[in-house]
Amino acid sequence: MTVDGASMPHLLEPDFLRKLERLSIAARHVQLGLAKGERKSKRKGSSVEFADYRDYVQGDDLRHVDWNIYGRLDALYLKLFQEHEDLTVHLLVDASRSMGFGAPSKIEFAARLAAAIGYVGLVGYDRVSAEAFSAAGVQRLVPCRGKASAHKLLDFMSRIVAEGGTQLEQNTKSYVIRNRSKGVAVLFSDFLDPNGFEGCLKRLRQSGSDCFAVHILSRAEIDPAITGDLRLLDSETQEYVEVSASPALLKRYKENLSGFCEAIRRFCLARGIGYIFAPTDGPFDRLTLDVLRSGGLFK
Amino acid sequence: MSRLSALGQSLGSALQQAFLAPAFLYFLWLIPIVILLYLLKLRRTRVVIASTLLWMKSLQDLTANAPFQRLRRNLLLLLQILILLLVVGALARPYFKAEGRAGRNLCLLIDRSASMQTMEGEQTRMELAKAEALRMVDEMQKGDKTMLVTFAENSDVLSELTDDRSRLRTAIHSITAADTRTRLRDAYLVAHSLRLTVADLHAVVISDGGIADLDEIGPRNFGQVREVADTSTEARARGYDLSFLQVGTTSNNAGIVAFSLREPEQGQPGEKQSFVLVHNDAPEPLSSTVTLSFNDSTLAVEEINIPAGEDGELVFAHPELGTGILKAELDYEDALPVDNIAWLTLRPAAKIRVLLVAEPEAPGAYFLQRVLAPDPRVELSTLPPANYAPGHTADLTVFYNFAPPALPSGTLLFINALPPIPGIGAEGSLDRPAVIATDSEHPLMRFNLNPGNVGVSTAQKLVLPEGAHTIVSAPGAPLIADVSQGGQFIAVIAFDIAASDWPLNLSFPLFFQNLLAWVPRSALAEETSVDAGHPLTLVSRPEIAEASVQAPSGEKERVILDPLRPVYFSNTQDTGLYTVNYGEGDTEKFAVNLLDRTESSVAPAAALSIGGGDFRAQRGHVRQNRELWRWLLGAGIAVLALEWWVFSRRAWI
Repeated sequence: MTVDGASMPHLLEPDFLRKLERLSIAARHVQLGLAKGERKSKRKGSSVEFADYRDYVQGDDLRHVDWNIYGRLDALYLKLFQEHEDLTVHLLVDASRSMGFGAPSKIEFAARLAAAIGYVGLVGYDRVSAEAFSAAGVQRLVPCRGKASAHKLLDFMSRIVAEGGTQLEQNTKSYVIRNRSKGVAVLFSDFLDPNGFEGCLKRLRQSGSDCFAVHILSRAEIDPAITGDLRLLDSETQEYVEVSASPALLKRYKENLSGFCEAIRRFCLARGIGYIFAPTDGPFDRLTLDVLRSGGLFK
Repeated sequence: MSRLSALGQSLGSALQQAFLAPAFLYFLWLIPIVILLYLLKLRRTRVVIASTLLWMKSLQDLTANAPFQRLRRNLLLLLQILILLLVVGALARPYFKAEGRAGRNLCLLIDRSASMQTMEGEQTRMELAKAEALRMVDEMQKGDKTMLVTFAENSDVLSELTDDRSRLRTAIHSITAADTRTRLRDAYLVAHSLRLTVADLHAVVISDGGIADLDEIGPRNFGQVREVADTSTEARARGYDLSFLQVGTTSNNAGIVAFSLREPEQGQPGEKQSFVLVHNDAPEPLSSTVTLSFNDSTLAVEEINIPAGEDGELVFAHPELGTGILKAELDYEDALPVDNIAWLTLRPAAKIRVLLVAEPEAPGAYFLQRVLAPDPRVELSTLPPANYAPGHTADLTVFYNFAPPALPSGTLLFINALPPIPGIGAEGSLDRPAVIATDSEHPLMRFNLNPGNVGVSTAQKLVLPEGAHTIVSAPGAPLIADVSQGGQFIAVIAFDIAASDWPLNLSFPLFFQNLLAWVPRSALAEETSVDAGHPLTLVSRPEIAEASVQAPSGEKERVILDPLRPVYFSNTQDTGLYTVNYGEGDTEKFAVNLLDRTESSVAPAAALSIGGGDFRAQRGHVRQNRELWRWLLGAGIAVLALEWWVFSRRAWI
């Protein structure tokens, strides 16, 4: 089944979807899956791929006894085969109001990225679970598998609305508790949380999945073009700060921003979380195909 | 606390030295208000952004380093404060003292008094002053104008405000020092009146500072009362842009400051005393002699020793000398020779010819003869009205109960008769008029003469012509009036003295003494010395039409005489003897002397006190107030334009 690109005009182009179909999610660690799938599992199972031998214990299925060895050694050994299970791709999208800024907006960019990653997962017969959260509430995608669910995924992603405050840690914690299956967890956020970015990344890491943090910032945040005397109003907290734009202030802002990004990158590096910096005005195709691949998310 | 107030005072005086209107500096209080308004009313554009997290942190970083970062970084506010500073500065009119005279209208007031003849080395002060004036004329630039006024006893405008340098140079070269004392008032008045019409006028007084009438000069003299609260020296005088350029340094001078002939208090009859007062202005004691001579023959030589800066007097006793010239000479060579010599003219008291036109038998005539005849000055002749002819002239003619058809010359008194003057008349008579007021200022009423208790039985009710002056008045009409006209002194008594008890009153002889003193010729008898620059009073017999006056320099000048009144000869700039020749060998000598302590004190003054302000002496170049407000205002406008540009661009972050 192919996904009709026309129904997803804002998210992914059909050509681009075809390019994605050549990719797959790279799980750095072999995980335990929930259902039979196409990935090696830690479990030994019923595939045709030989894995190991072990001693027969009472109750084992006699069909798996290696009779050739019994003939030679007069001992019962069981032949073990590699089990193939699915992989769960967790897509966590920060849908706080701050994500609604930028051109294109950060939430739209995040949704497209998440849709692309989810699509790759679906094509790879992985289980895809997605959630968009903010203090205003949580929007969930029921875990789905298979390319046939791509429509469901894209539809979900296109419906995400950015509203409410940022509650990264609490929302992440809640998700991790509810979704125990390990796999690949990707968090899309601008990490502009007054309570800090560390908590949510720690919670994500504790889930045991392979974690990725996609840091999304708009051009207006990376290189603000403000002049004159301004009252900057925070979209979430309604707090304001009065600034008189000056070269020194802008310089200081950029220093702080790069320090902020670097702090997140270092934090992720120390905890084995993949950090991917994604400015919204960059070429989406290139970011998806090259940056995510080089970041280790795709193979 | 006292230290604080002293600091405040010194700050105040410093501001006064730097600003002409320091009161405007109070507007500097507006600066905090501008800042406050800026902080309160700054219109900030509201911009909603994703998160202020990083901005807040950046701002904290910046403000942590600089508490006034917000102000410091705001160019517009700084520019506004700068504009305010400049405008307030311009209002306060800062100035500095600068040499030179660019772009000025100058009024040069040049002293040419006697003290300017003081020798300063090879040159006189007059020459130094002229050199300074010439230098200022040479420094004139395009558009500059200069006016020349000289002052001594009198002031002369040598040149109106002009930019014609050659004319100014010629005028300066023509200045010569006079032998007179110094009076600045008239020249100052000229400069001051010019100030009202010519903006930016700077008056420069070039003088040695020995000016006698400084007390008379002041703002109040010009009807422009300036209420001045502070007493600081230059603040009060600042309204008058004036500099005092001092010439001269020496104080080496001694001079005769008083010379007179007097009767000894105790002595033989016919003995006289000559009194000479010498002032020594030099820093060293004076030891010299004074020679007294009469008609060029020496009478006495006396030694005189005067400590520095003090006076010494000499009294010469000698017999009555008769007619001639008495001369006192200080035998001392100093920087100013003109005050070392003084003269007195001695002459017999001139007789006053009095003609009484009255019936000899009339009772009033008796009283008149009795009061006039005993006076040694009077040469009295009596004439009955029937014998009177218009050709009869006298210095004083008294008409009693009779009026001639035409006015004769000389001083006239009409008693109970109406002078033939248009406008005068009598309307009935007053019965027992009471004296209600007298004009004690009038010369005829000298010695506090008060005829208040005089009883008059009847008087004519006089109607006076225009310009007449009532001396003694009764209800409704004058009793005695001054009806002088055309310089001729005429008095009228409206009642018959015989019909009153006035002749028995003390005020009667005193009135006639005053009447004799009123006669111009009586002045001749007393006048033995005239101050240089003051006029000579030429009085002669009416038949003489003209005279010639020979100045000490030998120059002769013709003077037309007036039979009715004295003629004044004013060209007495030089000291010495002036000979008036009335013709036919009739000559009169006048002694013109300086005799002025201010002129003899040649030490240059350190400052001129004019109008309550002290103008410190400057030497060489005049330092003038150069104001800066135009530059400040220009800078203010420029900054305003810059602010507008910044505001409109807003590109400057």
